[in-house]
Amino acid sequence: MPEKNASEKFDLSIDLAGLKLKNPLITASGTCGNGKELDNYFDINKLGAFTLKGITVSPRKGNKSPRIAETPSGIINSIGLENPGIDQFIKKTIPEIAEYRLPFFCNISGYSEAEFLELAEKLCGRKEIAGVEVNLSCPNIEGGGLAFGTDPKTVYSITKKVRKIYDKLLIVKLTPNITDITEIAEAAESGGADCVSMINTISAMKIDIDKQKPLLGSLTGGLSGPAIRPAAVKMVYDTFKKINIPIIGIGGIRNGKDVIEFMLAGASAAGIGTINMIEADAALRIIGEIKDYLKKHNIKRLSSLIGKVHI
Amino acid sequence: MFEILKNKEVGPDIFYLVLKCDELSEQPKPGQFFNVKISRKLSTDPLLRRPFSVFDFDEDQNILELVYRKVGRGTEILSKYKAGEKLDVIGPLGNPFSTEKRSGLIHLVGGGMGIVPLHYLARTLEKGEKKVFLGAENSDELEFFTKRFKKMNVEIHRAAMTEKMEIKGSVLVLWMNYLDQEKPLFVYTCGPEKMLSAVEKECLKSSIQGQLSIERRMGCGIGVCLSCSCETTEGNKRSCVDGPVFTLGEVVLNA
Repeated sequence: MPEKNASEKFDLSIDLAGLKLKNPLITASGTCGNGKELDNYFDINKLGAFTLKGITVSPRKGNKSPRIAETPSGIINSIGLENPGIDQFIKKTIPEIAEYRLPFFCNISGYSEAEFLELAEKLCGRKEIAGVEVNLSCPNIEGGGLAFGTDPKTVYSITKKVRKIYDKLLIVKLTPNITDITEIAEAAESGGADCVSMINTISAMKIDIDKQKPLLGSLTGGLSGPAIRPAAVKMVYDTFKKINIPIIGIGGIRNGKDVIEFMLAGASAAGIGTINMIEADAALRIIGEIKDYLKKHNIKRLSSLIGKVHI
Repeated sequence: MFEILKNKEVGPDIFYLVLKCDELSEQPKPGQFFNVKISRKLSTDPLLRRPFSVFDFDEDQNILELVYRKVGRGTEILSKYKAGEKLDVIGPLGNPFSTEKRSGLIHLVGGGMGIVPLHYLARTLEKGEKKVFLGAENSDELEFFTKRFKKMNVEIHRAAMTEKMEIKGSVLVLWMNYLDQEKPLFVYTCGPEKMLSAVEKECLKSSIQGQLSIERRMGCGIGVCLSCSCETTEGNKRSCVDGPVFTLGEVVLNA
């Protein structure tokens, strides 16, 4: 059987700061629910890892509708971190994911430093969760309203404090809405992050020209999808030169070739987001396409491609 | 992949799409929808799927009928597809209308493309007295729907905004004229949110039970992205998987 031969012949496994993933595909937070929704369409255990929908300390109803708009090769969303809050998440979602056999990452968002610490504390010691992804794209209410992730000092400080509390895999998710993303990546590394995931959505808007008003209920949102991929690849490429921790490359991936491109630029793993909304079982196809590439180029170990364009 | 049997204009910018569905996981129920990938194989235009509710379904031949209005880039591209071509379609999706047997008068109130799911619903409901209220901008928009409803045993009432049918005005006004004279046992409604809100208000005032189908801009259609969330009496729900059909009074509507 070709499938069996393929899996024996190619090693798709990835080492993410000591956490071994069977392949580089990780669902990106917010585009894939909490597991069971996608599991209706394919066996999610086949993914490398799963990043859960972002959670905050208190429950959030999210933004006004419409929350999504389509743009050329992309979508702009402004969901507004709708979630049931950490306590309900621990009570309801954690027992649900316990039945799966793959690493789950919990995406956490705070509106103050104290909230990040509270979230990390509550997730510490949970055996069902393999790691925490710190989302620094929320406005820092106490710090003037700018996103935490735009200031290297704040990123360093939050990462360091979360690191003290949380002993498993610590991922810091980087916002691209900044002059130099590599400075933020360096700050996360200095603060003790195990890896960075990049990029979050690019700030964007769409205007309904018939109504002569912004289309989204919250006026602006974040752009994702194939439209942002070249920008994301460049940021991964730049960041790889500056840091020594692994990068999870995210941004418009929709096939195996896109994953290879991110890995060549310096990513160790690949976050898939928008594509899940169009093709729920895209991950299975992408895994097959990665194997096709390795076969075509006679490469045995996928991880040998990481950062190869830099050599 | 479902083969297109027909894709033709049946009213001003209104298209009738007929698909042969050979591999269907289950038979669609009224109120459910299918999520259609409109872009061709490797294209990203448009990127997201588009949801369309079931207009009719022939269970013997597995033939699915959808009706859509050409309103944007996605439906514009869809309208160019020809018979014989194939479409990548997911479904049926969503929570359907309840079709339990009720012994009493049923009202179905549809505005614009909100008429579409009510057609399959009316055909599926058990025998019994049914009145359907249809509203649109003009009579041309209602022609195709009228022809199809006439094949069923339902009483049809029509209103158009720009010309006199039974009345000149909204379907809401037309329906309320009847509501003054009779009390239906159950009301089903689908259409613009303002209309749904008004129908709901009247029903709740007169203690009439019913269901509505809501249209919120969707992303994934499978419950992962929360684009189509709506506020309900039991917290937020997703219109794609918890809806699009909800009980009257359950959803906070944008009136």
